[in-house]
Amino acid sequence: MRLENAYVIGKREYMTRIKTKGFWIATVGLPLFMAAMAVGPALLIAKTQSRHRIAVVDAVGGGLGQEIVRALSPSATAATASRRGEGAVLFDVRLTAPAADAAAQRRELDQMVRDKQVDSWLWLGPAEIERNRFDYHAASTSNWITQNVLQHAVSEAVGRWRLRRAGYDAAKIDRLTRLLEIDTFGVGATGSRAEAGMGKFFVVFGLFLMLYMILIIHGTQIMQGVIEEKSSRVIEVITSAVAPTELMAGKLGGICLLALTQLGIWLATAVLLTTPGIIGAVATMPAGALPSIPAAVLANFLVLFLLGFFLFSTLYAMIGAAFNSVQEAQQVASIAIFFVVAPMIFFMPVINDPDSRLAVVTSMIPFFTPLVMTLRVAAKMPPTWQIVVAYLGCGATVALMIWLCSRVYRVGILMYGKKPTVQEIARWVRYS
Amino acid sequence: MAPTTPTLELRDVRKTYGDFVAVAGISLAVEPGWICGLLGPNGAGKTTTIRMIMDIIAPDAGEVWLFGRPRRPADLRRIGYLPEERGLYRKMTVLDQLLFLGELRGLKRREALPRIEQWLERVELAAWSRKKVEELSKGMQQKIQLIGTVLHEPDLLILDEPFSGLDPLNQGLFKDLLMDYRRKGRTILFSTHGMEQAEKLCDHIGLISHGRLVLAGELREIKRRLGGNSFRLVATGDLARIANVPGVAHAIPRDGRGEPGGAAGAVAAGGGGATGGASSAAATRGVDGGGVLGGADGSAPIKLLLEPGASGPEVLRHLVTFLDVREFRSEEPDLEEIFIQAVRNAA
Repeated sequence: MRLENAYVIGKREYMTRIKTKGFWIATVGLPLFMAAMAVGPALLIAKTQSRHRIAVVDAVGGGLGQEIVRALSPSATAATASRRGEGAVLFDVRLTAPAADAAAQRRELDQMVRDKQVDSWLWLGPAEIERNRFDYHAASTSNWITQNVLQHAVSEAVGRWRLRRAGYDAAKIDRLTRLLEIDTFGVGATGSRAEAGMGKFFVVFGLFLMLYMILIIHGTQIMQGVIEEKSSRVIEVITSAVAPTELMAGKLGGICLLALTQLGIWLATAVLLTTPGIIGAVATMPAGALPSIPAAVLANFLVLFLLGFFLFSTLYAMIGAAFNSVQEAQQVASIAIFFVVAPMIFFMPVINDPDSRLAVVTSMIPFFTPLVMTLRVAAKMPPTWQIVVAYLGCGATVALMIWLCSRVYRVGILMYGKKPTVQEIARWVRYS
Repeated sequence: MAPTTPTLELRDVRKTYGDFVAVAGISLAVEPGWICGLLGPNGAGKTTTIRMIMDIIAPDAGEVWLFGRPRRPADLRRIGYLPEERGLYRKMTVLDQLLFLGELRGLKRREALPRIEQWLERVELAAWSRKKVEELSKGMQQKIQLIGTVLHEPDLLILDEPFSGLDPLNQGLFKDLLMDYRRKGRTILFSTHGMEQAEKLCDHIGLISHGRLVLAGELREIKRRLGGNSFRLVATGDLARIANVPGVAHAIPRDGRGEPGGAAGAVAAGGGGATGGASSAAATRGVDGGGVLGGADGSAPIKLLLEPGASGPEVLRHLVTFLDVREFRSEEPDLEEIFIQAVRNAA
């Protein structure tokens, strides 16, 4: 192995790929997409204030109408909205007394909706209240945020009205039945530390997604690169100056550095975004909700990244070397993709119970180790022996894959023409 | 043999694929300053031999010596290799591509850049250096491949079928380059199945048939040695009988200009997998076809190759018994005839 040859090959792989639009679209696009998915909807809703004109017909009496007007007041709905993380809706309530001819009044209210004098109307009658229901009439009924706030406010108003009628002090009841907030603490080796459950979830999900994307993106690219070298016959010129093992080493090394560059950009973006003040400026987040990545998790993540990268890049390089076109290779490549996608199935169970038997066993299966162990390490640091066993198993598999790949590679890259059979590929491994 | 150290030496190199013997033991020495043509029909083992020289495939037996010692990986950097199946990275720019090819052969970036510039100017592609290879025409890509082969100024050029698929302009460019290299005293080995190209360019040849070297040496010397056996005949009459005349090995019809016409087809057809006997039959059949060859006067020339040791006057005495002979004279054999004869002798 002449390192200078591998270096020239690796440099070419790195430099040509880092200059492509695709690399930057993936590198910049993914964090943007993730950020948009994570905070976008909440941000949009939180910043949206819609005004809703509503006519309320109180056919019950006894102050229920006033109770509802109070529950739909801006201060009351804003409090509910912020607690539920939803947008605020400003209600313009027009309290209406019931008319003698209920049917005529209903037709009249419908007409008001059609004439856009109001957006909707509510009917609260004794029968409806008895059945714990109320009618909502509107031109559009897909405004589930408004309906949510409305349902909440009317329930609360009716509840208070009932309590008052039963002779209780509503204000006192309010104080006694207040909803409690949850404060999450992560228990680590040195004690407990406040951390928001959702923040932690984002860290685990973020690391998992980064590794997942890198394995898929770069694995496929390696396969396509090798096939392109074969089909364009560049390989003939290159193998005359460079041994196949040097070519393979340079290629995987260069692309590994490229993936590390991408990972670095992503991690830096994540750190920057979670710095207090930046995310706080765009979305009002309670203190402690900001996730952080402990150094031990990061160190393990880098090891898992390297194991995962070489596990799958050798697999893909081998597939590329064995076949003559992307179409031919696709079938086999989909088997490789299975190993990357399968840990997705374990995502929720593992993150919910990182020490479950499922989590421990799947994290020890070499082709699943990188992704599943990332979940476990990020969610709750597993016992050291489990980490060591998983790394040794995965490392041994990587060594085996590199050996296999170099043998298939050196024969395969000069084999054009027909699609090889499994037996032929096995022969390449034996004889090369 | 000259006292100089051969630039390239093959010592009984063999390669077998399963039951198929691709190269059945070839020994060949190429000395500095030679332009050596490795000749033979498609499938004779030329590309396999070259790939073994370049360490792309390993021989089953035998040794490759380069620059006077058993081949070492670093020696390959002193070779400029143009494979028969050649290509470029489509998405790379011309400049990056050439830099990469130069660096692969150990050139530093600052050495490579001015050379690339010079070369691109010489082939009139300077304006294209920042363009991607896929934007170039096929002819332009061939020029880039050529530059990539010689950029590191190799001591030995190995070109596998360099003229196949070239447009006439690039053929001229490639020939100029070979002549340049010869003037500088560097060594060239190239393979071809086109005998005309080889005849014009080579000073030495190695003829390969069925994985064996059937003839090797200096072209002029070979021609002189075999010259006494080749005759030009213009005659009318029962031409089919020529092949039966004692001492006649081959009778090859020629077109009026003296260029190999039908015989080229005969060699190519027989060459793919034929023994000497088969090519002989194919060559002779061309004459069997009719009593009169060429125009109405039946005066198209025929090339006669005699058996070793046969005498020209003796053959002529037989010919005049059944032909109206207008011309019969000794002639220098061309490569095609030499090849046919060599294959036949080997068989």
